[in-house]
Amino acid sequence: MATEVLWWLFAAVMVASAIGVVAARSIIHSAIFLIISLGVVGAMYLFLTVEFLALVQFLIYGGAVTVLILLALMLTRMATGDERMIVNGPQAPFGFLVAGVLAVILVGVAFGTSWRGDVDDLPANISIHQVSEVMFMNFGAPFIFVAVLLLVALVGAIILARQEDAE
Amino acid sequence: MDFGQAFFGIAWIDAIIRVVIVVLVMTIVVVYLTYGERKVVARFQQRLGPTKTGRAGLLQGFADALKLVSKEDLRPRNADRWVFEFAPFMTFIPVFTILIVLPFAADWGVRNLALGVFFVFAILGLNIVGIMMAGLGSGNKYALLGGVRAAAQMISYEIPLVLALLAVVIVARGEIDGVQINGTLNLQELILLQETRPFILIQPLAFVIFFMAMLSELHRAPFDIPVAESEIVGGYFVEYSGIRWSMFQLSEYASLWAFSIFGSVVFLGGWEFPMGSDWGWGWQLFLTGVKSLLFIFLVMWVRATVPRLRIDQLMNFCWKVLIEVSFLLIIVNGVFVLYDWPEEILALVNWGATVLFLGILYYRGVRRAKTSDYVGTYRQEEMSLA
Repeated sequence: MATEVLWWLFAAVMVASAIGVVAARSIIHSAIFLIISLGVVGAMYLFLTVEFLALVQFLIYGGAVTVLILLALMLTRMATGDERMIVNGPQAPFGFLVAGVLAVILVGVAFGTSWRGDVDDLPANISIHQVSEVMFMNFGAPFIFVAVLLLVALVGAIILARQEDAE
Repeated sequence: MDFGQAFFGIAWIDAIIRVVIVVLVMTIVVVYLTYGERKVVARFQQRLGPTKTGRAGLLQGFADALKLVSKEDLRPRNADRWVFEFAPFMTFIPVFTILIVLPFAADWGVRNLALGVFFVFAILGLNIVGIMMAGLGSGNKYALLGGVRAAAQMISYEIPLVLALLAVVIVARGEIDGVQINGTLNLQELILLQETRPFILIQPLAFVIFFMAMLSELHRAPFDIPVAESEIVGGYFVEYSGIRWSMFQLSEYASLWAFSIFGSVVFLGGWEFPMGSDWGWGWQLFLTGVKSLLFIFLVMWVRATVPRLRIDQLMNFCWKVLIEVSFLLIIVNGVFVLYDWPEEILALVNWGATVLFLGILYYRGVRRAKTSDYVGTYRQEEMSLA
């Protein structure tokens, strides 16, 4: 019961901070709202008793992705003065359209699929051994492909950045 | 021991009481760490350090804390108000959260999580956010530079830190109560597996990498580039004063303490080695304390003796040396685990690699130290004029 109340509370915080990302007038505030939003998603994973996924969420999105965004902001912005950048232009209606369609698709898929091992009100606690079993045994080849893909993307990014440097 | 028992057996009351105890202990430890650091560094520099407040200056930390709390809480006019004011909390909360999983004795941690090691470095990653908020929100270019440096450094050094820990986790094998364990992330199980030998004996290279990355994560000399006083006037917390500044200090020392206990758990055997389960909780707490103090003293020793690196040297050392070595370590450990080769040979290989690694570092350091043939730029101009 208490977990359920907390879950909905966190869901409300997540939605509110997601709106904050779009509505904030300063881009730094947007980035910080994004961090809060992603962090709260991690906390909601905790309530669903998938600790591993929650910690991955904190590590990757909280500690790495958003930090990269903040780092990019730091390297490109002026140090002092709070200039207000208008980030919502005339493309806003199209943005709403895309977001709405995406939301409809995701919700439809989530409710339409019959998930394997689906149990109501009783989330299963998945141990890290099971996760690693599935990831490295059943899906070993896709895992390696994704790793190679990321490596290629990394090397490509370095090459692109270097070319600009040489000119 | 279950504190919830007295309150109708409610589990979260037990958790809250344990958290409160740990936080109180942490506060006192932090106060005495500031005192200890000043005394140790003073000894290295042939000074006396604090002597006046209390006997041998023992109350100096409390006096400083009182002074800091009563100071005015300033905020620059062009600072971003909310970002500026919440930044100290964002640095402190992750450090505070880590304390939940640290085991101090056999049944004395707040909670024993199955993913303890992973929890520690996942939560530690969030520490950067607060530092970057401080850098961005202060409206000061030195703070911004400090924030950029801190972020770049902490993201980079997190990789070898995590890899070195994973290398230990891979080879952590053995039997606990008749159950065979092949690699675990649980901190209590990691300790129990070290009953006969601490992991530093079989993974010294991982310890060396961990210690270097830890110095960098804590912004300790020689990696204290984000907070370099002589270059950027103190770094990301340059605009802070009073209670908010002391929160940054508090989180810095608290994370030093947390890292020391974590390192002593993973590498030195925590409360178990030697004779932990036989001699009771007093000896266990003593072992935890002594081992973490050893870590802390090592950090202060390095701080007092090694000069600060340049930012490019720091980055090169991480990306071109530490990450490769730690990947190599994981591959070697994986091969050993896959073919089930004995632990003694693994230890031997690892000691060889450690000696080689430190030897190469030492050789390069000694070779570079020769500057007798170099002439500074201004001297060259002088000589060409002459």
